[in-house]
Amino acid sequence: MKIVIVGAGEVGQHIAKLLSSEEQDIVLIDSDETKLERIDANYNLMTLKGSPTSFETLKAAGTHKADLFIAVTPSEDKNLMACTIAKDLGASRTVARIDNYEYLLAENRDFFLQHGINDMIYPEQLAALEIKTALKRSWVRQWFELHKGELVLVGVKVYENAAIVGAKLRDMTFTNNNFHISAITRRHETIIPGGNDEILAGDIIYVTTTPENVDDLRQLCGKDNHIVRNVMIMGASRIAVRLAALLGADYRIKIIENNREVCRRLPERCPNCEIIYGDARDNDILLDEGIEDMDAFIALTDSSETNILASLSAKEFGVKKTIAEVENIQFISEAEGLNIGTIINKKLLASSKIFQILLAADSESSKFLSLADAEVAELEVKPGSKITRSPVKDLKLSRDMTIGGLVRDGRGMLVTGGTLIQPGDRVVVFCLSGVIHKIEKLFG
Amino acid sequence: MRSRHRLNINVMELVRIIGFLILVEAMFMLVPFFYSLITDKAEVEAFAISIAANVVVGLSIVLTVKPRVRELGKRDGMLLTALVWVIFSLFGMLPFMLSEMRLSIVEAFFESMSGFTTTGVSVLENIEDVPRGVNLWRCLMQWLGGVGIIIFTVALLPMLNSSGGMQMFNAEATGITHDKIRPRVSQTAKRLWAIYGVLTATLGVILWIGPLPMYEAVCQSLSTVSTGGFNSCSGESAEAWATLGVRIPVIIFMFLGGVNFVLIYRASLGQVRRALSDAIFRGYVVVILLSTLFIVGVVLSDGETDLEKILVEPLFQVVSAITSTGYSVDSVYTWGKVIAPVLMALMLMGACAGSTSGGLKIDRVIFLLKSAKNEIKKVVHPNRYYPLTVNGVVKPPELALKVAVFFVVYLALLMISGLVVSILGMSVDDAYFAVFSCLGNAGLGFGETASSYASVPDAGKLVLSFIMLVGRLELFTVLILFTRSFWRR
Repeated sequence: MKIVIVGAGEVGQHIAKLLSSEEQDIVLIDSDETKLERIDANYNLMTLKGSPTSFETLKAAGTHKADLFIAVTPSEDKNLMACTIAKDLGASRTVARIDNYEYLLAENRDFFLQHGINDMIYPEQLAALEIKTALKRSWVRQWFELHKGELVLVGVKVYENAAIVGAKLRDMTFTNNNFHISAITRRHETIIPGGNDEILAGDIIYVTTTPENVDDLRQLCGKDNHIVRNVMIMGASRIAVRLAALLGADYRIKIIENNREVCRRLPERCPNCEIIYGDARDNDILLDEGIEDMDAFIALTDSSETNILASLSAKEFGVKKTIAEVENIQFISEAEGLNIGTIINKKLLASSKIFQILLAADSESSKFLSLADAEVAELEVKPGSKITRSPVKDLKLSRDMTIGGLVRDGRGMLVTGGTLIQPGDRVVVFCLSGVIHKIEKLFG
Repeated sequence: MRSRHRLNINVMELVRIIGFLILVEAMFMLVPFFYSLITDKAEVEAFAISIAANVVVGLSIVLTVKPRVRELGKRDGMLLTALVWVIFSLFGMLPFMLSEMRLSIVEAFFESMSGFTTTGVSVLENIEDVPRGVNLWRCLMQWLGGVGIIIFTVALLPMLNSSGGMQMFNAEATGITHDKIRPRVSQTAKRLWAIYGVLTATLGVILWIGPLPMYEAVCQSLSTVSTGGFNSCSGESAEAWATLGVRIPVIIFMFLGGVNFVLIYRASLGQVRRALSDAIFRGYVVVILLSTLFIVGVVLSDGETDLEKILVEPLFQVVSAITSTGYSVDSVYTWGKVIAPVLMALMLMGACAGSTSGGLKIDRVIFLLKSAKNEIKKVVHPNRYYPLTVNGVVKPPELALKVAVFFVVYLALLMISGLVVSILGMSVDDAYFAVFSCLGNAGLGFGETASSYASVPDAGKLVLSFIMLVGRLELFTVLILFTRSFWRR
């Protein structure tokens, strides 16, 4: 597939690297050649220096033959303009990164389609949604609902006190058929476990299950269902503003921001929040604002390091749930090891969305989740695809992917070795990074 | 975590890829093997043994080595590229040793390296004595080395269509920066090889229609388009080689072999005007015309009256030198010593980057001249900003430094290796000419080495072989292997 990406910022570079290792033809455009140099020399893709909204540049990049055109420059206007031009030049499908909630509303969809914009990514919105889910279920690290919640994928960190620590996966399937352990993140690596692997304290396990069993899983992992009411947010970033709007009146929110100008304008955008001017790295301010009574602490400043450290100190004050925005991908596994509850990464959220668009023509119904070194996809099985030919245990799936569960006739169920997947099923596939093209072969 | 493996070298994967590449070489050896088989030549056996050796080594590596981690980093790419050239030469020299020529190890390695690096210097005195199958292999080596062994295999092996393959491509491709013509490295490589293949086939047909016999037409077109310069013609065919009907197409295709293949690709897509207005291309044409004019002047002042000798032969010699092909016309020795500096300057300069030629590459020379001009102007206007522009694009100032360093290292290598070779037992001027010729992959000889390099002492041959490799991979890919920081974590 030929993909043109405009904007070699963090999101653009991440998507380009990821897609080039998925055997796609990538052309990356940016007006700043210093951003392109390194990626051009080290990755199997082509770069082009030029303005994202120039007809000449887009033509030179072969936009007229592109299957997908992705505009992810920092500027929303440029992204929309670039997509409009690209569509006119003949790109099959366009995606723009935006920064305005209104654009996503259903009533405005036709307007954007008329202007040649098929899809829009709003990473801040995705991040806010992710945080909202994390607050609702404070005991999980990752909560991913599939097909109207018929099936859920839960990522949870297990400690010494969990009943399942030390259990072998093979034994677990004998006693309990309600969970499918799809992946385990141990230290800095995600693995797809086999029957002989056992669960250790400190692992993050990714379990596919049906909604009625979620409570059992929580007890098995030794977690309380801690209800969050009081939330403290550090840094009035765009995500924080979106989050405040999403959370509404269900929560009591305090935002600490150390820029006076930002504080002054914040109340009109977040009328439901208490705004505090000060530095959240200062313990006195935290104590003054009642950090000890908080149920959740969310660190959303521009600096990943600050967010990680502030979350840790909030943890010391007894805050049960901490959420940190970590933009450096290599820090994610470190932060996970440091017991930060949930980690938010805009790049991963944006690339989830892109993969979703790539894998399913009808991306409205399929979902996709990117983790630091693994991906989860929900896919509809087409008649005649390779995966329907034999039961799962005879498919000879490569060791870097697994099928967690499926939704058949609107009901979620787990997948075992003997399951025969039928056309029309929606299945959940868990795979390590760089092997999504294998999934395409199985389902194509 | 994957990134942690990048720090040191992924030996297993390196070995595995080398195994595959050895098999690729065996595939190429099949060509001279079948040629000898069909024409019923004695060297069939030599090729059979060489191919068997390749297949045994290659297969046993491929079947036994199963690396855990598949990724290749920058270091792996450089090391692998340099190693592949040496290993190809080592396996490629087997037919020279096993056939009736019975070259010694050093001679065979020298010949083999000279082939793959498209230098075209030879230890063989008389081409009639060389078995025809072996000579075909020699020319095929040049052809394979012309665009590049790695670039060929990147096009062929899907496992190199990754960022590891990208690293190897960069380590082998010539020039200051490397243009990609398609997003994926294998697509770029396939297109380069398509251009290369079409050029070679076209020249082959033209030479064959011209009066050359088929065998010589094939061999000569292989070593012309690759700008290698092995000569396969002797006796009657040598006379045919000197006729106008052959000489003019050879000039044209040597010239094309010296043009950046990306430009040829663009021209083939219909962007001819854009290709012709390229500053590097124009520089290349201007240098050829000026040097030819100089030699024409020299020839005229000698009172020459034959039009062919006045116009065609100087042009042939100039194009042969600048593209680092290394063919000579007979009359070159009658032009006198005054042309030697011109030929040396041309060999030093080389043709366009991204072509099959050797030397510094005209891109770098243009770059150096432009920055020199800017520096001189700055003496008068110290505060004025002089941009360094090539083809209307302003280049970053660090690039000028990079090119200057390349130039300095190139000259230093010339000095040092010339000194070493002369200490090893050659006269100083012949030694320097030989080093010039080998580092630039040109292959001209002068004085002692005029007809062949057989008389160079063995140690000198090894030094020259090394220099050829360093020149072909544009210095840094090989030199970096001798630094401590490369091997240190």
